[in-house]
Amino acid sequence: MDTTIKQSLEEIVGEENFSDSLIDLIAYSKDASEHHHRPDAALWPVNTEQISAIMKLANREKLPVVPRGAGTSLAGLAVPEQGGIILDLGRMDKIIEINIEDRLAVVQPGVIYADLDRALSPYGFFFPPDPASGSVCTLGGNVATNAGGIKGAKYGTTKDYVLALEVVLPDGRVLHTGSKCMKSVSGYDLTRLFVGSEGTLGVVTEITFKINPKPPLVSTAMATFEKLEDAGRAVNQIMYSGIIPSALEIVDQQTLIAINENTDLGLPVVEALLVAETDGHTKEETEFQMQKIISIFKSNNATTVKHAEGKEEAEALWTARKSSYGVVARINNNLLVEDLAVPMSKVPDMLRAISDIAGKHDVKMPTVGHVGDGNLHPVICFDGTDPDEVKRVQEASTELFEKVIELGGTLTGEHGIGLAKIPFMGLEHDEISMDIMRSIKRLFDPDNILNPGKMGLEE
Amino acid sequence: MEGKYEFEKKFRDQVLRCSSCGFCRAVCPVFGLTKRPAFNARGKMLVLKEVMDGNIELDDQLIETLFQCTTCASCSEQCPSGVQPPEIMKQVRKDMVHKGSCHPVFEGMNQILQEHTNIYAEDEPEDFERARNKKAEYVFFIGCVGSYREDEATMATLDILDHLKVDYTLIDEVCCSGALEDVGFEINGRLAEKNVELILETGAKAVITGCPYCSRTFNGKPQYQGLKDAGVEIIHISQFLKDFDLGVKTDKAVTYHDPCDLGRHCDIYEEPRETIRKIAPNFVEMRHNRADALCCGAGGGVRGAFAKNSIAMARRRLEEVEEAGAEIVLTECNSCVHNLNNAKLRAQKFKIYTTSQFLWQLLEEQD
Ligand SMILES: Cc1cc2nc3c(=O)[nH]c(=O)nc-3n(C[C@H](O)[C@H](O)[C@H](O)COP(=O)(O)OP(=O)(O)OC[C@H]3O[C@@H](n4cnc5c(N)ncnc54)[C@H](O)[C@@H]3O)c2cc1C
Ligand code: SF4
Ligand code: SF4
Repeated sequence: MDTTIKQSLEEIVGEENFSDSLIDLIAYSKDASEHHHRPDAALWPVNTEQISAIMKLANREKLPVVPRGAGTSLAGLAVPEQGGIILDLGRMDKIIEINIEDRLAVVQPGVIYADLDRALSPYGFFFPPDPASGSVCTLGGNVATNAGGIKGAKYGTTKDYVLALEVVLPDGRVLHTGSKCMKSVSGYDLTRLFVGSEGTLGVVTEITFKINPKPPLVSTAMATFEKLEDAGRAVNQIMYSGIIPSALEIVDQQTLIAINENTDLGLPVVEALLVAETDGHTKEETEFQMQKIISIFKSNNATTVKHAEGKEEAEALWTARKSSYGVVARINNNLLVEDLAVPMSKVPDMLRAISDIAGKHDVKMPTVGHVGDGNLHPVICFDGTDPDEVKRVQEASTELFEKVIELGGTLTGEHGIGLAKIPFMGLEHDEISMDIMRSIKRLFDPDNILNPGKMGLEE
Repeated sequence: MEGKYEFEKKFRDQVLRCSSCGFCRAVCPVFGLTKRPAFNARGKMLVLKEVMDGNIELDDQLIETLFQCTTCASCSEQCPSGVQPPEIMKQVRKDMVHKGSCHPVFEGMNQILQEHTNIYAEDEPEDFERARNKKAEYVFFIGCVGSYREDEATMATLDILDHLKVDYTLIDEVCCSGALEDVGFEINGRLAEKNVELILETGAKAVITGCPYCSRTFNGKPQYQGLKDAGVEIIHISQFLKDFDLGVKTDKAVTYHDPCDLGRHCDIYEEPRETIRKIAPNFVEMRHNRADALCCGAGGGVRGAFAKNSIAMARRRLEEVEEAGAEIVLTECNSCVHNLNNAKLRAQKFKIYTTSQFLWQLLEEQD
């Protein structure tokens, strides 16, 4: 990095918050995806003013800047594809305000999801998106990716909770969007524009979230199905039965086999295993909902149905779902965690297609997912040092996404496009929508310095 | 694929298996303090991948991350991919030392143990007013920190053993030198032989160690196989004490800090708690406990080499003591006691002891 630029950056953040040491450049070269590229420097800003000054400088010098939270993105969103500066927001980690009367929390972007959850819990409140990476991912990252989780069907995703944002624009100006009110239609919804924008439009420096009271009780049940189609039909019937489960998850046969091969859990090797959870304030409420779900399981040929009595039993029913990542992550050296979503009625078709595609290309693609909102995670496990296998994985991915679009689905339910899904953007978005997206990017960031190279925005 | 370095031969597969999920961020004490991703296990694995790919050399530039690891194993516990960073770090450090890249403090430690019998280069052994090298049922092995830095805690432990009428002896012990394995060197054979010889001469059926690290070393390292071959059992003082009821009680709020070497490395979580629960009905857990316990920041050579960070990590642990509202912190490792006490602020009114030290105080108060 040019020494005068380096000096200016050190002046802005202080020497201790600047690094161009090899170890930092390597640590920031990757996120949880397979993509990698080293930045030229890393900064740990501690306030909005510093970020604004950094952006002014970067804009003037045409230096790429990549905002970064915990770097848990699974699609290359946080990889500095064109070098430049990593802006690590991890040290801006204060919870500024928890306001129960107004039902909101104001946080800096580097607050860890789990830390907000812990801070809200004494009030009986929570911030529902609940991504599986919650123990590490940052709220800034959650906003930039519109993170979701197993509670999606009932509680929605991050976008449903962001009320207002403070954002530093690529030219260094500080924008305030939204309001602290629960409702507002005052002008364009700029807040929503930033949610899921993958750090390409501005650096989020403060977030105001709506928070929810947390129902204290849950009921949990698990069911196995010999036929995928039966499980699929059960899911559909549940979702239009009038009951909205707080979680409805699926584990497919390949995952069950993988778990059995690598643990002594001895799970039934059926085509599908479903776990459902209902929540509420009284036992009657949670059980009423759960009984409806259980009767739907039974009328759709579930081979076994287990209903948890206590907390420990509930945890046991979650074992297959919750241990799946840990097992699958050990199968091979490389992991591609896909994130497609389809309309709910198409879930069985999609699951069948995943299984067929895996067989056809001889790749391992165990799948779990949030069936309650149609979001599936086929996890492709492969050996990246085997060129033949890599080729088969690429072919399988392409076919997978073609099928998703054919079924009226979307490339990504919660992880984002980043670098990983750029080749498939054209499948889902026509020229008009790509053109509008590119115009928006140009409006905010005419010199393309903020997280460049992502989302297929470059012509 | 054959690697250039020993660590590749032994751990290539594990390094590749790291999926960069970043979950170790949540638990790494060095990262928790510094918020610098280069320091957590993912950062270290990424650096090693680049070494394996031949992009960078194992050289001085990497010391700051590869030697700044307390080997606490919090990351191994959390890792969905089954990576064991502390084991990898120990081997990498050996490779680095082999190449001439080493933290000067560690170099110094190895040197000291070449010339002296303990890590503090103290030539006068501490006198604990107890018989040494006699025939006895047990050997009590103190360890360097207990001998030269936390001698009051050791004295209290010996008083308890006397009180319980245990037939034990001390020996002219020398450093177990297990720690050298953590910082890039090998166990010092001369020292190990001496310990084995002295222990066997006493005819003891078991060695009780005051230090969980010594206990791990005796149990796990080939240089101490002689003890196993002779059927000598190795136990830590916490395992020994759990079978006794000393009949004392405190109404103070007591918490327990799990030392990494006893907890995550040996799976001993309940024995110390059993003893404490007997004496302290008002027992409280810290937010991170058992397998999730936060490291005190002293291990893996970090206290010596990165002293400022080591103390700051201990401060973070002590914040949890305050959060739990404890008046007494007990632990089972002299090194933890030492580091936590050094980090304690004057405004923090709680006290930090080893369990046996606190037990002895209660016994004395009772008399
Ligand atoms: C094992 C595992 C499980 C996961 N499970 C889920 C899940 O259940 N649901 C889910 O939605 N995701 C999941 N993820 C993906 C990931 O955790 C989420 O996308 C998360 O929101 C990313 O947060 P982060 O702090 O790690 O952000 P990063 O990965 O650091 O960044 C992600 C993107 O956000 C941008 N960004 C970060 N902070 C800011 C900011 N302050 N301002 C502007 N842009 C910013 C970055 O530039 C980048 O484009 C999982 C990941 C892993 C590894
Ligand atoms: S938790 Fe394990 S797999 Fe995940 S980044 Fe850390 S070392 Fe790698
Ligand atoms: S062993 Fe402890 S200090 Fe070392 S990388 Fe793992 S968590 Fe961090």
